[in-house]
Amino acid sequence: MLQEESDISLIIAQIVQKLKGSNLYAQLERQAWASLQRPEIKLESLKEDIKEFFKISGWEKKLQNAVYSELSVFPLPSHPAAPPEHLKEPLVYMRKAQGSWEKRILKSLNSMCTELSIPLARKRPVGEQKELLNKWNEMGTDEPDLSLFRPVYAPKDFLEVLINLRNPNYENGDSLSFRTHLGLIQVPLKVKDIPELKECFVELGLNTGQLGIDDSTQVPPELFENEHVRIGQKVLAEQDSAAAQQYIRQGSPTALRAELWALILNISSQPEDILYYEQLKTNVIQHDLLVDSLIYKDVKLTASNDDYYFVFEDYLYQVLLCFSRDTSVLNHFAYNSASPPKSYIRGKLGLEEYAVFYPPNGVIPFHGFSMYVAPLCFLYHEPSKLYQIFREMYVRFFFRLHSISSHPSGIVSLCLLFETLLQTYLPQLFYHLREIGAQPLRISFKWMVRAFSGYLATDQLLLLWDRILGYNSLEILAVLAAAVFAFRAVNLMEVTSLAAAEAVLADLSTLKVMPLLQIFLFATVT
Amino acid sequence: MSRVSVPCHVKGTVALQVGDVRTSHGRPGVLVIDVTFPSVAPFELQEITFKNYYTAFLSIRVRQHTSMHTPAKWVTCLRDYCLMPDPHSEEGAQEYVSLFKHQSPSMTFPKWLSHPGPCEQPVPLLEGLPDPSRVSSEVQQMWALTEMIRASHTSARIGRFDVDGCYDLNLLSYT
Repeated sequence: MLQEESDISLIIAQIVQKLKGSNLYAQLERQAWASLQRPEIKLESLKEDIKEFFKISGWEKKLQNAVYSELSVFPLPSHPAAPPEHLKEPLVYMRKAQGSWEKRILKSLNSMCTELSIPLARKRPVGEQKELLNKWNEMGTDEPDLSLFRPVYAPKDFLEVLINLRNPNYENGDSLSFRTHLGLIQVPLKVKDIPELKECFVELGLNTGQLGIDDSTQVPPELFENEHVRIGQKVLAEQDSAAAQQYIRQGSPTALRAELWALILNISSQPEDILYYEQLKTNVIQHDLLVDSLIYKDVKLTASNDDYYFVFEDYLYQVLLCFSRDTSVLNHFAYNSASPPKSYIRGKLGLEEYAVFYPPNGVIPFHGFSMYVAPLCFLYHEPSKLYQIFREMYVRFFFRLHSISSHPSGIVSLCLLFETLLQTYLPQLFYHLREIGAQPLRISFKWMVRAFSGYLATDQLLLLWDRILGYNSLEILAVLAAAVFAFRAVNLMEVTSLAAAEAVLADLSTLKVMPLLQIFLFATVT
Repeated sequence: MSRVSVPCHVKGTVALQVGDVRTSHGRPGVLVIDVTFPSVAPFELQEITFKNYYTAFLSIRVRQHTSMHTPAKWVTCLRDYCLMPDPHSEEGAQEYVSLFKHQSPSMTFPKWLSHPGPCEQPVPLLEGLPDPSRVSSEVQQMWALTEMIRASHTSARIGRFDVDGCYDLNLLSYT
C-alpha cells in the first residue's frame, strides 16, 4: 500500500538523520575508507564489497543495534501537519496540566532562591574549584549546611496534581455515578486488562523458565539456569541488541547483567564518551548550581539512609552533578511532555541571545530522584560507564515517571492501570480500602514513581528492571503494585485505617517479585 | 505537478437528532459538517487533512454532478472510518489524520472533481508511460521527505550551556 511505503520511508529518513550526527557514523566512514586498502574490495563492485566487509567485521551489527535503539526510544514520525508539541503530548489538556505543574515548580525554586539569597548558578572562585577537584572522589564526607534547603516537590504533591486531572470533553458529573472512576485517577486513558497483559508479557508465563523463580536453590540448575546462562553468553558474543532485549525478558544472570544492559541500551564506552564525562566533570568544578544543593540534600535524605545504597554515596554525586550539566539530555524533551526551564544571564532579561536552560540538562530533581541511580551502582563501577547507563535509562524510561502525559508507560497510565487491575480483580479489597479512607493509589504511588527503588531488595529490583528493559515498558510497575496488594490482601481486609493499611505495606524488602507477577497474571482465577 | 491546498468553507456542525433538540436530554452521537469549495476551477482532490477531536467514526459523502442535465446525487466515499479504536478512551482522540484518495474504494473522488473544462479533451493514456496519478503521489512523498530532512537540524552535540563562559543567572523565567 502506498501509505505504508511512505510511512517506512519517513521513518528511515528520520533515523538516518539522527544517526548522521553520531560517533558511529564517523566510525563507519573511517572504516569504509580504511577498507579500500583490503584486497577483497574491488572498484567494480565497491558498494557490495564494502557492505560485505561491514557484515563480516561486525560493523553492520553495530549499525543494526543503533537503528534498533533509535526505534525503541523515539516515537514514530507523526503526521506532517502535527506541530512539535503534538509529538511531546497529543492531548491538549495534558499539555496544559504539565505546563501548570512546571510553573509551580519554577515558582517554588525561585522563591527558594529569593528567600535564601542564593543564585541559581555562579562561577566558582579558583580556590573553591581546586578544593572540589581534590575531594571529587569523596564528596560524601562533605557536610554542608542543607537545613534551609527543601526538596522542590515530593511524589505526594505530584499525586495531588494527577488526581485533579480532568478531560474537559469527558462528561463525568460531579456526583458519583456509574461513569465516574472509583479510584483517584479520573481521565479515560486506555489501559490493558489481564488478558492483554498476559499476551504482552507472555514470557513471564507459567511454562517459561524465569530467573527469580527457576533459579532458586531447590530447583536443579540443569532444568533451566545452566542453559539460560549459556544462551546469555551467546547473545553477548553476538552483540545483538534486539536478541539481548528478547533474552532478558526471562531475567539476566547476575554475572552477565551489566554487559546485557549496556548492549540493550546500546552503550559502549568509547574514548569520546569518557572524554565527554570528563568535560561534564569540569563543568561541575567550574560552576556551582542551586540544584547541586538539592541533589546533596536528596542523596543525604534517601540513599545515604538506605542499608543497601549508602556505600555508593560518592558515586551518586559524581553521576547526578554531571547529569545536571549535560546538555545532550535536552534532546529527550522532543518526546517528553515536559519542557526545560528557561532563564536569562543576569542583567539580560528578555534578550533571546542570552537565554539559557536551567539546569543545563533541563531536569529539576525532586525528592527521591537519586534512587534512580543507586541500584545501577551495583552493576557499574567505572564512573563514566555508570553515568552513560543512568542517562540512557533516564531518557528512555525514568522521565515518564514524573511528567504528565498520556503515554502508556507514563505515570498517569500506570496509576490508572494499577487502580483498574485492583478494582477488576480484587473488587472486595478495593471497596474495603476505599471505605476506610485508604485509596490504594495513595500507598502504591511512591513505589511506581521510584520504579520500586528503595522498596524492594536489590536483587529483586534488578530482576524487575530486567523486565522493564526487556519489554521496553514501565507497565510492569503497575502490575507488580497490584500483585503486592493481592499478596497481602488477607491482612489488608482486616485493617480499619489508612495508617494501618500503610503499615501492612510498609516493608516490601522480603518480597520475591517474579512469583508475585506470575501468580497475579497467570495463576489467579478471574 | 505541485500540491496546493484548496480553499474550502467549513460550516458549523449540525446534530442529527430525532425529536426536539430543546426538550430531549439525550446527547446526539452524530454530527454533520458541510464542506463547500467556493472556487469553480476544476481540481483533483488528493488528500483531506484534519485534526480529530473525539470523533470515533467518520463517513464522507460527496455530491456528484455528472452532467448538466441530471440532478446532483450524493455518493458515500467513506463509511464509518474508525478514528478512535476505543471511543471511551483517549486513543486517537486528538490525532492528526490524512485521508488519501486511494483509500476511497469507489474511487469517485478524482473523477467527479476533475471534470475537464469545456475546451479540454481528456489526454489518452499512452502505452508504456507511468500512470500520472501514481507518479504524482510518489513525487509528493519524496517532497514530504525532503521537506522533513530540510527542516530538521543535524544532531551535532553542542555541549555548551553557558553564553561566552558566563552562566550567572538570576531567576527562572515563566514564559
